[in-house]
Amino acid sequence: MAQPPPLLASRQLEVGYLGQAILPPVDLEIRAGEFWAVIGRNGSGKTTWLKTMLGLMPPVKGSVEQSRADLNLSYLPQRKAIDELYPLLARDVVRMGLDRKWSFVRPWFGGEPPEVERALDEMGVLGLANEPFRRLSEGQKQRVLFARLSVSSAHLAVLDEPTSAMDQVAEHEAFTLLDGLRKRHGLAIVIVSHYLGMVRRFADRALLLDRDTQTALSGAPSAVFADDRFQARFSERPPPLETAEDGDD
Amino acid sequence: MTDAAPASSSEALSEQELEQAFGGDLGAGPGAQPSATVAATPEAPAMGADRSAREGAPSWKEFSHGWELGIYRDPVLCGVFAGLVLGVLGVFVVLRRAVFVTAAVSQAAGLGVALAFLVELTWHVPVPPVGGALVLALTATAILSLRMQRMRLPSETLVGLIYLGASAGAILVGDRIAQDSHDIASILFGTAVLVRPLDLSLVFAAGLVTLAVIAVCYRGFLFAGFDPEGARVHRLPVRALDLLLWALVAIEVSVTTRAIGALPVFAFAVVPAMAALALVERVRWALVVAAVFGGLSGGLGYLFAFFFEFPVGASQATLALLFLLVCLPIARVLRGSAA
Repeated sequence: MAQPPPLLASRQLEVGYLGQAILPPVDLEIRAGEFWAVIGRNGSGKTTWLKTMLGLMPPVKGSVEQSRADLNLSYLPQRKAIDELYPLLARDVVRMGLDRKWSFVRPWFGGEPPEVERALDEMGVLGLANEPFRRLSEGQKQRVLFARLSVSSAHLAVLDEPTSAMDQVAEHEAFTLLDGLRKRHGLAIVIVSHYLGMVRRFADRALLLDRDTQTALSGAPSAVFADDRFQARFSERPPPLETAEDGDD
Repeated sequence: MTDAAPASSSEALSEQELEQAFGGDLGAGPGAQPSATVAATPEAPAMGADRSAREGAPSWKEFSHGWELGIYRDPVLCGVFAGLVLGVLGVFVVLRRAVFVTAAVSQAAGLGVALAFLVELTWHVPVPPVGGALVLALTATAILSLRMQRMRLPSETLVGLIYLGASAGAILVGDRIAQDSHDIASILFGTAVLVRPLDLSLVFAAGLVTLAVIAVCYRGFLFAGFDPEGARVHRLPVRALDLLLWALVAIEVSVTTRAIGALPVFAFAVVPAMAALALVERVRWALVVAAVFGGLSGGLGYLFAFFFEFPVGASQATLALLFLLVCLPIARVLRGSAA
């Protein structure tokens, strides 16, 4: 069967700062419904690569190609990039998912569409709709932000370490929720994660980035984990396949 | 800043004196300074600063008489409206963690006024003081929008530099345009005691524009502030929204500073928003509460200054602080009960 065209593709993409590349060129294609995991140690260039793919940073060389002009992207940055000083209810945060392509000649008005409550319900946090976002637990906040993704009409969602502040149970739940979003909405997901067990269980594509060894390796997670460069960098075998029981302890 | 208590009507300006005071609009340039100084300077005889010579405390009757004459109406309306609009704008300023930007922009506006006078005195080219204030305030805002990270310095250093440069510049330029040092502050910033009709009109116009822009761009400002990267990926013009927000701050601060002084403007742009954000859990309600607190601080502050014979700007700032002090324990109780 022929593969669908890629939503987003990097062509000999080099990322970095002030014209200085920090990683080797990357060629890859992200298709609808794919679950990509970007892995690598701290400071390996994962966030820089993501931001360049999203157009938040200019590429040093190469290009990022979108399949269509109206491609909808959504981004869940690292938690520190979200300002929790803002007094917003959970439903206000989800409502932002619908705020797309604002312009001065076409600003948004109007009330809250029904999709907001549907998405909160989908993520199991409808009861928290009127709670202040900043008072929620880390797991609850992530569910609300996932609800924001759900309503965003995105074709591709990019998440930068969304489970970094979670325990193993919450992390497993988060991956399960994201996988559900992918299946229900046909969404492509790209996630940065340090939890290799979850990557092995949920992702169908992986990208290993390493600035120190100038590695950029993509493929099926099992193939990436078996590669010598992965083995050398992580210096241990990848953890066994996660099971539901594993997540419950 | 220099400030003064409102004159009670036993010592208040007669209509003829009022006409003389307002007729010489500072906006007309330094040539109008003597009569304008009567209106704005605390030591001016027409304002009756010699409190010891006064018979009894100011009364409502005196106030209402002065209100009918317009002496108190305009500054009260100006204080209320400036407080309301700055309260709303202040919510975004506080949420952007940029409270001292207001102070720096205010000082830049003062320098702009001083330069306008200097240009007129030196080259005899009439420059509207508010125009000078706007240009310098917008310039300061543009400089503040520079990315300081590239200079390996925190953004606060630039705020401090602008504040310092503008303050020193205003004093140096002011030295060349005023005979007495106490005139400088009132020429540069106004005093909130009396507000000229032109300034009141400008405060209303700038305020209405600010409120209209905030209403239109509310959701954009919210998303761009809460999650700027997420907003950019959703194709919001985040940079343009930021520039627009700071341009609004520059315009509103320069116009209101010219009318009522730097101290109340800084207070209105920070304190009501702090109280509101402590009290409520939704930005839209914070805007309403900050507007109410700001407006009340402006109006009640003037009344407080009138009846207790205190300086107006400081009274308005103190009222705003009192609202905050009342709100903080209430907010703590509310948070406790919610938890």
